Amino acid sequence: MRSLIIVKTCILFQLLLIGSLPAHAQLTIDVIGGGASQIPITVVPLGKEQRYEQKISEIVSADLRRSGLFRLGSLGSKRPFPTQAKEVDYGYWRSEGAQNLVIGDVVARPGGKVEVRFRMFDVSSRQQELGFSFLVDVRELRATAHKISDLIYEKLTGDAGVFSTKICYVVKRNKTFELQIADADGYNPQVVHRYDEPIISPQWSPDGTRVAYVSFEKRKAIIYVLNVFDGRRTVLADFSGSNSAPAWSPDGKRLAVTLTKDGVSQLYLINADGRGVRRLTYSQSIDTEPNFSPDGRYLLFTSDRAGSPQIYRMRVDGRGEPRRMTFEGRYNVTARHSADGKSFVFIHRNQGRFNVAIQDIATRQVQILTAGRLDQSPTFAPNGKMILYASEIKGRGILAAVSSDGRVKQRITAQDGDIREPAWGPLMNNRRKESLE
Amino acid sequence: MNKVIFASSIAFLIAGCAGQGQQVAEVEQRDIFEESQSQAELERAEAQKQAQIQREQEELRRQLEEQQRRQEMAERPAGIDEPVIRPLPDESLGGSQTQQDDPWLQFSEPGSLLAERSIYYDFDRYDIKEEFVPIIEAHANFLLANPELRIKVEGNCDDRGSREYNLALGQRRAESVKRAMTLLGVEEDRIETVSFGAERPVAFGQDEASWSQNRRSDIVYFDQP
Repeated sequence: MRSLIIVKTCILFQLLLIGSLPAHAQLTIDVIGGGASQIPITVVPLGKEQRYEQKISEIVSADLRRSGLFRLGSLGSKRPFPTQAKEVDYGYWRSEGAQNLVIGDVVARPGGKVEVRFRMFDVSSRQQELGFSFLVDVRELRATAHKISDLIYEKLTGDAGVFSTKICYVVKRNKTFELQIADADGYNPQVVHRYDEPIISPQWSPDGTRVAYVSFEKRKAIIYVLNVFDGRRTVLADFSGSNSAPAWSPDGKRLAVTLTKDGVSQLYLINADGRGVRRLTYSQSIDTEPNFSPDGRYLLFTSDRAGSPQIYRMRVDGRGEPRRMTFEGRYNVTARHSADGKSFVFIHRNQGRFNVAIQDIATRQVQILTAGRLDQSPTFAPNGKMILYASEIKGRGILAAVSSDGRVKQRITAQDGDIREPAWGPLMNNRRKESLE
Repeated sequence: MNKVIFASSIAFLIAGCAGQGQQVAEVEQRDIFEESQSQAELERAEAQKQAQIQREQEELRRQLEEQQRRQEMAERPAGIDEPVIRPLPDESLGGSQTQQDDPWLQFSEPGSLLAERSIYYDFDRYDIKEEFVPIIEAHANFLLANPELRIKVEGNCDDRGSREYNLALGQRRAESVKRAMTLLGVEEDRIETVSFGAERPVAFGQDEASWSQNRRSDIVYFDQP
């Protein structure tokens, strides 16, 4: 048997969102459609998980199902469920059509801790594919389940799992605007800022510790940076005119922003502490919505320099002329690079509808991914596989997600109010792994 | 394309000041007559015509004063401050008494263009349509006649497309109103601009009737009681 690896988890957000207020309502996620070929997986209830409020196997199953890439297999009729390798009856699970089988147990440990042990087996080869033990605080069970989902997802698809990530978005309820942060599955929504004036354009810092956003609380657009751990807020840009469209550089040291201090909306670079502002574009047109390439060398942005808003690409060092990237239609806005930098999503207006489209940077091939009337603000999952965006149903703002191949669709709704301006947070590399004998 | 149309509307503005105002007013009156509009509309057209005449006279005076100022500048010995010259409202027209006492009364006069404080736009455009030029002219003249007043122009958009692009577009809309007013002689530092993008709609439907109301610039007087 392979050695187990103990994983000390550090679920920073859940414990350290200081000064945050509980949100009114949980978010609900509905999955519409599914992947072309779904990976079969069977997740049986973990031993003694029923003693705890958060049931690991249910959370893992929901995560995997929601991704659209997995088909959850039958739990069969044989009881009790296996909790250890030696209890697995491979012939039986094979007859149930299982291919990947997840088992495990939850064991109480001293000091309010629990140990979550899980293993995944390939039923055909009878080989263990994964085996991990998590020693965590009982309040971290839900987060632990997401980490298990991440490990399974990565093992079976080859891509990083994003079940442990956070999303940030704005909820408008009557005249109140709330900046909220929730788990990627919509649980644990926390209000991190609330005001009676609009909030737009939240953007995560690459290390996931801060959110830059635009607030109109001073009756004009000002960019703030909020530390989501200690709740401290600083002004990033409050120049004469509008200050908006913050975009973090991949190293988190500076941001590209849109300012009107010199006239029309232009792009500027500014250090993350608000110092050292430097103008990037010199056009007579609107230049806005900058977005860094993952290597930090390029910016995609929206400009109406050719008479209609289109996506352009420029070097961050300012050399050369910006190159126009979009040519179909008269309204292409809000470009966001994929994690590998090879493509970008944007909003494309087509016959009066505003939809999320994806374009390959090298081949310029465009695919329209959504079919709503007024889709806005696309944001990639950090593994590049899903795109979260704002949409509406009967005039009410909702969030929706679509896979980058357009096959899987999700819908995220708040119980009340308009939900909009989503930003998908980064992968948090906060796991410390230690070998266990 | 936007720029071309914007440029032509400014050209229209300047032409209007330089003496074609009469013609514009006549055309508007005829259109209104043909459409059998109400008495109030006719009165409004008459008020517009009066405003045009007033504007022309003021423009002439402004030009003369400018000429005079330049002459004085050339003759003035060193060390003497530049005189402050402001155009005065035309008192030969009716209503000047109330105007002197309380300029805000004009805002509630029947048919006053000053009561209209919003300029509306087409989707993704910030050029000022001809029908809104008289409103901008009326406010520019009011500002010229009341030099202590300052305004803020607030640009707004409908909520389709990108919130950030709309914020930039709203700024352009506000700036276009400011530019038109400065071309009419209002000092730049008396006009502040701000954009609320798509964030402050006045109509909430998801249809053109609502969207068209949200694509607007609002003229807001700082000191209006």
